[in-house]
Amino acid sequence: MIAMDIDGRRVVTEEGRTLLDAAREAGIDIPTLCHHEALEPFGGCRLCVVEAAPADSRGPAELVISCLAPARDGLVVRTASERVKEARRTVLDLLLARCPTSDVIRRLAAEHGVPRTSFPESTDGSKCILCMLCERVCAKIGAHAIGGAGKSRGKRIAAPFDLAAEDCIGCLACARICPTGHIGYEETDDERKIWGRTFRMVKCEVTGRPLMTEEQRSFEAKRAGLPEDWFTKCPESKRRETAETIAKAFEEVR
Amino acid sequence: MAKAAVNGKRLIVTPDRCTSCRTCELACSFRHGAPNRPAVPRLRTFDFGGPPKNVILTCFQCDDAACVRVCPVTALVRSGETGAIVVLERRCIGCGSCAVACPFGQIEMDPVKLLARKCDLCGGDPACAAFCPTKALEYR
Ligand code: SF4
Ligand code: FES
Repeated sequence: MIAMDIDGRRVVTEEGRTLLDAAREAGIDIPTLCHHEALEPFGGCRLCVVEAAPADSRGPAELVISCLAPARDGLVVRTASERVKEARRTVLDLLLARCPTSDVIRRLAAEHGVPRTSFPESTDGSKCILCMLCERVCAKIGAHAIGGAGKSRGKRIAAPFDLAAEDCIGCLACARICPTGHIGYEETDDERKIWGRTFRMVKCEVTGRPLMTEEQRSFEAKRAGLPEDWFTKCPESKRRETAETIAKAFEEVR
Repeated sequence: MAKAAVNGKRLIVTPDRCTSCRTCELACSFRHGAPNRPAVPRLRTFDFGGPPKNVILTCFQCDDAACVRVCPVTALVRSGETGAIVVLERRCIGCGSCAVACPFGQIEMDPVKLLARKCDLCGGDPACAAFCPTKALEYR
């Protein structure tokens, strides 16, 4: 068991948790951009910065990245001190220069007292902050369809060789996890377009509602060890069918 | 069916007693909603012509659950306390595979949050059972 002081409150957590985990468990909010609990901590955006000092030290508190920093017994943590706020403003100032067209970043920056950036603004129109959530979630799923391409200021997210993403299953996990809405896609009831690919949708046999792409079905069926024809109906149809089966079974025993 | 939970309780459904008054659905909506904004219920009743013909359908909290098997990020986990399979919302990536995998239609995607939504036995105090006037739903 680990006991810390976070913003003047005693917070108890377990070995192996990060400062961010501990703060969130205690209901203390720390802003994040590149963090998602489905994925390993990454430490890319630096927005989750906090101040931490060992209780027994007389030295100055350090700025640490709370999504990476492990919880340690006796730590004194400040999530909203002036120093932390200043560090966050710098992070947002830089992000705003990179993505001046992103509503999400603009709003976040404004909320933290950065109405405009003090750096030269990027003009490429990209909303990508290179948090790599998309690449990481795609790898976690096991598709490994997209990733970082280029270097330094030219770095961006792309499919290999900028061709249609061969390994993409069209699940939209990347587009949904992207904090800035950088990843676009198009969708009708029949098909979905993303990463240069067009996917056919599997539809509910009863209602015709789109369920998932054919590729996602094959992929997930394999993961679950279930036959592909397991994935054929929408929840509403399955409820109706199950209820009717139960009603019939009861009818028979009565 | 679900393994015995630490709290030793189960949600027992006796469909013969269901009048399809839908109080359980309402209780569920209020328990899982926000003030003045009831949620979509996670269990349903089916009126097949009055008792004893009606059916109540809720998550079976299956032992070897298809939703758990299919989830790519282990966002569906069994609560040791209640034995319910619960969605860890902060871990869910909204891919929707679980909703298509559950053979009983007990998971839906929340259209606003874009996260999976299912019965969690209210953490050990299911509102549906507490409010069912005919004891068609009991938690004991
Ligand atoms: S596209 Fe979105 S999710 Fe991917 S790295 Fe850029 S900002 Fe992050
Ligand atoms: S959330 Fe910690 S560095 Fe991005």
